[in-house]
Parts: sequence; structure tokens; C-alpha cells
Amino acid sequence: MSTGNEGSTPAAGRGSAVAEAPASSKPRLGVFKLASCDGCQLVLLDCEDELLAVAEAVDIVHFPEASSHLAEEGPFDVTLVEGSISAPEHLAQIQAFRKASKVLVTIGACATSGGIQALRNFATLDEYAERVYAHPEYLATLETSTPVADHVKVDYELRGCPISKRQLLELLTAVIKGRRPEIRNESLCLACKRYGYVCVMVAHGIPCLGPVTVNGCGAVCPSMGRGCYGCFGPKEGANTRALAERMLAMGIPRDEVLRAFRFITGYAEAFREESIRHE
Amino acid sequence: MNDSRPAVGDLQSLERSDFPALLERLKADGYKLVGPTVRDGAIRLQKLDGAEDLPVGWTDEQGPGHYRLRPREDDHYFGFVAGPQSWKRHLFPPREPLIQLKRHGDSLEWRRPAVDEPPMAFIGVLPCDLAAIHVQDKVWMGAPFQESRYVARRRRVFILAVNCLEPGELCFCDSMGTGPKAGSGFDLCLTEMNGRLLVEVGTARGEEVLASVPVRKASAEDRQALLNALDLARSRMGRHLNSKGLPGILFGNIDHPRWEELAQRCLTCGNCTHVCPTCFCFNVRETGTVVDGHEDRERFWDSCFSLDHSMIHGGYFRATPKQRYRQWLTHKLGAWESQFGTSGCVGCGRCIAWCPVGIDVTEEAEAIRATSKGHVRMPPPREHRLVAGDALIPSPAQIIHVREETADTATLWMEPTGPYHWRPGQFNMLSIPGIGDVPISISGQAGAAILHTIRGVGKVSQALTSVEAGALVGMRGPFGTSWPLKASRGRIVTVVAGGIGLAPLRGAVREMAENPKLYPSVRLLYGARTPGDILYPDELQRWGNHLHMKVQVTVDRAAPTWTGHVGFVTNFLRRREEVRPDSVYLLCGPEIMMRVIVEKLLEAAVPEDHIFLSLERNMKCGAGFCGRCQKGPFFICKDGPVFRYDQIAFVFTHPGL
Repeated sequence: MSTGNEGSTPAAGRGSAVAEAPASSKPRLGVFKLASCDGCQLVLLDCEDELLAVAEAVDIVHFPEASSHLAEEGPFDVTLVEGSISAPEHLAQIQAFRKASKVLVTIGACATSGGIQALRNFATLDEYAERVYAHPEYLATLETSTPVADHVKVDYELRGCPISKRQLLELLTAVIKGRRPEIRNESLCLACKRYGYVCVMVAHGIPCLGPVTVNGCGAVCPSMGRGCYGCFGPKEGANTRALAERMLAMGIPRDEVLRAFRFITGYAEAFREESIRHE
Repeated sequence: MNDSRPAVGDLQSLERSDFPALLERLKADGYKLVGPTVRDGAIRLQKLDGAEDLPVGWTDEQGPGHYRLRPREDDHYFGFVAGPQSWKRHLFPPREPLIQLKRHGDSLEWRRPAVDEPPMAFIGVLPCDLAAIHVQDKVWMGAPFQESRYVARRRRVFILAVNCLEPGELCFCDSMGTGPKAGSGFDLCLTEMNGRLLVEVGTARGEEVLASVPVRKASAEDRQALLNALDLARSRMGRHLNSKGLPGILFGNIDHPRWEELAQRCLTCGNCTHVCPTCFCFNVRETGTVVDGHEDRERFWDSCFSLDHSMIHGGYFRATPKQRYRQWLTHKLGAWESQFGTSGCVGCGRCIAWCPVGIDVTEEAEAIRATSKGHVRMPPPREHRLVAGDALIPSPAQIIHVREETADTATLWMEPTGPYHWRPGQFNMLSIPGIGDVPISISGQAGAAILHTIRGVGKVSQALTSVEAGALVGMRGPFGTSWPLKASRGRIVTVVAGGIGLAPLRGAVREMAENPKLYPSVRLLYGARTPGDILYPDELQRWGNHLHMKVQVTVDRAAPTWTGHVGFVTNFLRRREEVRPDSVYLLCGPEIMMRVIVEKLLEAAVPEDHIFLSLERNMKCGAGFCGRCQKGPFFICKDGPVFRYDQIAFVFTHPGL
């Protein structure tokens, strides 16, 4: 009982008991993108009611999606990075973002797992390029699409395609106030059960990645009677093998099991290994 | 038609067509009806408008990881068994406000929001679920503390139970002694048979409600038919669990290979814990954001399958799936008996049906019993005295002085709001608005000020070590057990502390330092990481100057100016002759350190009951509710933090428990 034992998560400096900071010391927020669709940045813009309060609490100094007043150089107290490392220039960019940032947060399935564009990691680049582009010779891209954490240290991850507005506000609040963000690495099932949704897998035989997927969306798909397709990526210790075996036993064809795991976050380690098992 | 007024204990007969009027009467009395209804392909428990919302003509088909609704051939109201939800979500909601903070100028006031809901009438409570409500009552309405919001809801609930004549494939209430006949605690209990409803009256309130509908006394044939039907139900249980001696068997097989094998199948999704009608673990979060600016907290269902449940200092004491599944099963079917005097399982079968991969607790428990490698004697439930008041509401305490002890550790002098009595070894929950609260041991008293020495390792403790004199923080407590000072009078006492572990011991050491007559021989062994990490250096020196005390300090890594001992604190006990078997030992420090010390003491023939140690967990309530500080059958918050070694030996030696 001797210490404050709530555990620690990586963070910027020591917290303060006083939430109010003088205006001049408002944290500087930067928002950057790599290979992505901008959908996660839009979640920040989509905070409509909350956006003014966020803008009060932080100085948004770089946010190309929202403004042409940019301060690319930093330094930033908090940086949100959307997108995966997919093109050659991303390699240098991400190092620069990291260097300029106190707290670096990756947002979305692309930044945290490589995204849907990481499907090419399971094939060769040429195969994909030829199918997609009329003139692949003009294409300058990396062989693989990889998550930011493969390249630089990441302080926090916000998962999802797109990210959850609630989690974004929670993270910004926590960083500003100096508390531990309540972003849990637990199964989606726990959200389903708290909301009282009926399990689509047990009651309807619908395959669902909920048991191996991290909660964050609030169980949107199961609430509509659909199985979770894992857009928040694997939860810690995801036992994908046991779930895949159950899906096979339910009569789901092996190629569908493969595709269930190889989707938006298919390059995340646990999902990647599972889909490879079913090749 | 009322040939006699129904009375408590009576069995009455009610025509099916008159049943809706019974529910109308409850509504008229102001109850919100909650009961089973068909929704999304399952029978869920939610608000009902009346009897027409009940799952008339529906039943369910269940198997491991399998649940389907099926039409029945009759129009029974209650022709089904346990569904995906249990009544706990209405008494212990999945999410609810915990505390709210109001600021009045410079002062702080925390309060718990009142339960502002109409009383509920639970319609169609199955016998297993009735038993589950009683199991939860022991958690929330036992001792030392009662949970005020649960009590407020529970006291007003009207329970209309139903006997279960058609148990399902996953049912084993008969094994657990919870069914198929409803036990005590209902207001009215129905049995649906032969197109009529037999109604047993359980309480005066039930009697009053039943008086509003036409009933007649059940006949002798009715009674016999009921007994026969219940006997038949007992013979139709789809599952069976031999619970005899199970707690001791499970804890005697902590290293059984079955746990590892189970971990291959278990998804650690936690569904079993959330469908279980008795699981009570919760976590707490700050709900205020930059947007709303408030500083309230809520609690929400948590699960021993989530990694966060066992987090401490950024590490996890149940990191592996094996440890997490073992925690669930050993708690549910084992530790519960020692904690609450009842099994945590009521035989409803929900955890089997709603496990996505169909893991069957009855099968797992039986597999371990069948290949058991021994069993342990489990401790009987501990008696706790009931403490009045709401243990979850912090009181404001003013920081009157802060002392930096080391680079990351500070001592706070805090003045509590009212009179405050504590014993060395106990702890408080300290709270910073908008940041969180954490358990911190009490490290002494100076005048009216209560001292807390805190190492900033997480967000809340860092915030606490950064506060300045004059600030207000929240304080709840004191909680837990204390060092055996009285029992140590006249005896040799050896205190062994590691790092910040000196803080919870300081109150005891001070007491012994000031009273040489009561404590004629005290030896303090203290280890810190580096000379800069040594806590209370001046006080250590003063203690060492006392004739009845010997103080020895060592550091893991020396600095150039350090002339003292280097090495682990365990080195002081390296030679057997340095270990006095007649001494009382008080230990506090990292668990790994205490494990090594205990080993040395036992080697030197120190009796197990001469050793006392203080354990630490990441508790959220401090009051025995949140379940996060469990170590086998013990709640560290209320059965500890100070334990006598012989009582916890069988769990202490297993780090993953």
C-alpha cells in the first residue's frame, strides 16, 4: 500500500493537480497525415459541439484539413498522426514529426496497423501496381505499408477506422489534464455486454471478430445485428487461433475466415498471423 | 371467489387469465415492471408494459456457445431458462455515476448521486437468479461496508419468482442447491402448470399484492403435482457439478496442466464474467473532458479477463490467459466460499452458452477434480464489523505541508475534515479531482496532520507528489488491517522494508521507538535502490540511536560517497544465526523481496505465524466491492493489507494469483 499504484503509461512529463493552465502555456497541437483517407482527421472536425472547447484548451497550430495557417516546424506538445508509412517520403516525415513532438499519438487503422493499403504486404507490389494503375511506372511507393510504430516510438494509439470521437476527446483531455487516458485494451464483447446487445455469434451464428478485437467503437456493428470486422485491430493477447477454429466449426469456409482476419487491420500482427495460417 | 385471504407461506391458485391483473396492480403501486421479453432473437430482461410483453409461447435451446429461440407448443409465460442478461444489470448497472464533485469557491464537496428511479418489480425471476441476487446482496450489503446505491435499489425491489419446471441443456441449479424450486427471498413465487398458476406467498407485501386478484387456495392435488413436477425437473438437469470440497481442490491445483490447456481455448474476451449473474468487479474512470469541465467519476463493469484488471505500477500480476482464466474459475467456484460463505456459481449455465467458443465450467472443474494433485484447507469467511457511512465518498483534506523525500517521492501532511483515527499499516484512498484516486498507506501523524509518503509512478501519484501546500485533495479511509503492535509487546521485533515499503511501516516503527518498555528489542533492516532513494534518513539515524533499536540500511547500487552496506536487504538475513526464530517479523516491500525473505525465515525455523507482511494491489474502491485487489480468497483492501503469513501462505507463493 505504499505507493500510488495506478500504474503508469507513457506520457509527457509530470502531471499537475491543477487543470487550468495560463493561456500562454496552452499545449500546441499538430495534426499530420501520411498514407490515409483523412477520415480520422475528420473525426476531429466532426467534434462540432466540442471543437470550440478543444480549441480553447489547446493551440491547434498545424491542421491542414482544417486550416491553411500551418506551423509545420513544431515543437508540438501533442501530435496526432494519421496514415501509414507507405511512400518513400513518409520515412523522413515521420522522423521529423517525432522529433518535433513531446507526445506522439497515432490515430486510425492506417497509422496503427498499416491500414487497408497493407493488403499489398501479402502480395508483391508489382502485382498490385499492375492491377490498379494504368502506368505503374510513375508510381513511387514502398514495397509495404507499415504502421508508424514500426518506425518511431509512439506514446499513444487511437485505433479504429475511423477513430472514435469519444476516445479522441478522452485522450486530449487526459494529456491536457495530466491523467491516464481511459482507453482500454479489452475485447469488444465487454462493450456489447455492457450495452446489453445480444451476441450475434451465439444467438445467430454470425461470425464476429469481437472476442479478439479491441473495444473502442462501442460495438457499432453488433448493435446492428452484424459481426464485428475488427477495424479497431486485435486486443492484447488475441487468441485468434481459437476463434478461427470456432468459425470453421460453425461452417464458415476457410477462405472467408482468411478474409475476416485480412481486412482493414489485417497487417496487425495477430490478425496477420491468423490469415496466413489459412492461406 | 376469494375463499380465503392469502397469507405468507400459502400456496394459492390463480387462473392464467387473471395473471395480467397482478402486474397491473404492481404498476398501480408505482413499480416499474422489469422482466423477460423477446428482443433481437433472445429473451432479454427489460422494462415491461404488462403481461403482453412477456415471451408468451417462446422457449430457448441452449448449448455451449449456442442459443436459439424456439416457439413452444403452448402459451406459457415463463417457458424458458436463463437468457443472455441477468438481474444484476438492474441492481448493479453496467455503467453508473460513482461520485460528483461540486466546487464552492475554494472548497470541494463530493457526493454520490441519489438513486432517483421508481422501485422495480422483477417479473419472472428464476430460482437460480433469485439465488444470484442473494449472492450479490452479500457483496454489496455485507460488511465492513454497504454500497449505498445498491442498497437503495435493492431494498425497494418486488420479486415475483417462478419455479423452473423445464431446466435446459446447460442448467445445473440442482447441483448448486439453488433450484429448481425458488428459495427464500421472493415476495411471490409462481409455478406455471396445467394452464394455471400456483402462487406461493413469500412476504406480507406479496400477500397484499395478491389480495387484489381472484385466487383460491391450492388443493392437495395441486401441491402434490407441484412436488412431482419439481422432482421431474431435478432429474432433467442438462449439466451437473460436484461442488463438494471444490474450493480446496481448485486451490490445491494451481499448477495443474489443465489451466495451460484451457488457455489455448479461452479467448479472454470476458463474456462469461459479464453474463454471470454474480460477478461484481468494476473499474472507475474520470468522466470529465475538456469540453464539459466537470470532475465526476463513474464506475463500469470490469472483468478479471481484461489485462487492466491486474495492472500495478505499469506491470500486470495476471498477464497470461492461463492466469486470468484460473482467476475466474478459482474465484467463482472456490475463493467465493471464503469471501462470502457461498459459492459464486448458481448453476444458471450462462457462462457456457455465451462463451463464443463454448468452454464449459462444469467440464473444467470436473477435469481438475478427476486428476487432482491435492487440496488445501480454505479459510472460513472472515467476520467484518459493519462500518456506517458511504466508504466511496471522499472528504476534502487540506495539504498543509509537502516534503520532497527523494527525486520521485514526497510526503504530504494532510489535515482531514473531521476526527480521524488510524492504526499503523492502514491506508487511505487519496483523490485528485479530474485525475483519479489511488490507495496510499498512512506513514505517520504530526499533530492533526495525517502523513502520506507517495512515490510518483503513475498519473495520480505523480499528480499527488506535485501538489503544493494549501491544495485540497480527497481522502477516504482509513481502510484495512494494521501491524500487530499489541501482540508484539514484550517480544523481539524485526522489521524488514524495501524501498517505499518503509512508509507503511513507519507508524509502527515510531510507536516502537517511543516505547522501549513495551518493545525492548527492535531491529530494522532497510534496503533502497541507491543512497538517494533512502527514505527518512534523519529519522533512520535517530531510531538507530535508541538503545533498544538496531537499524541497518543497505543500497542496491552505491554512490561514491556511500560508506554503508551494498547489496539486497535479504543479505542481512543471509546467515542463519542472524535470523532470530523467536522474533516477530514485519515485512513490506516488493513482493519478490518479501518472497525471498519469507523463504529465508522459514529455512531458519521461524514459525509461519510470526511473520506479517503487507500486500499491495491496484484497488479502485478500498471497500471490498471492486474486486481488483483479490489474491485468492482474500481482498487485500479489507482482509489485508497486513496479513499473517500462515494465513496466506498457500496463495502468496503463487505470483500469478
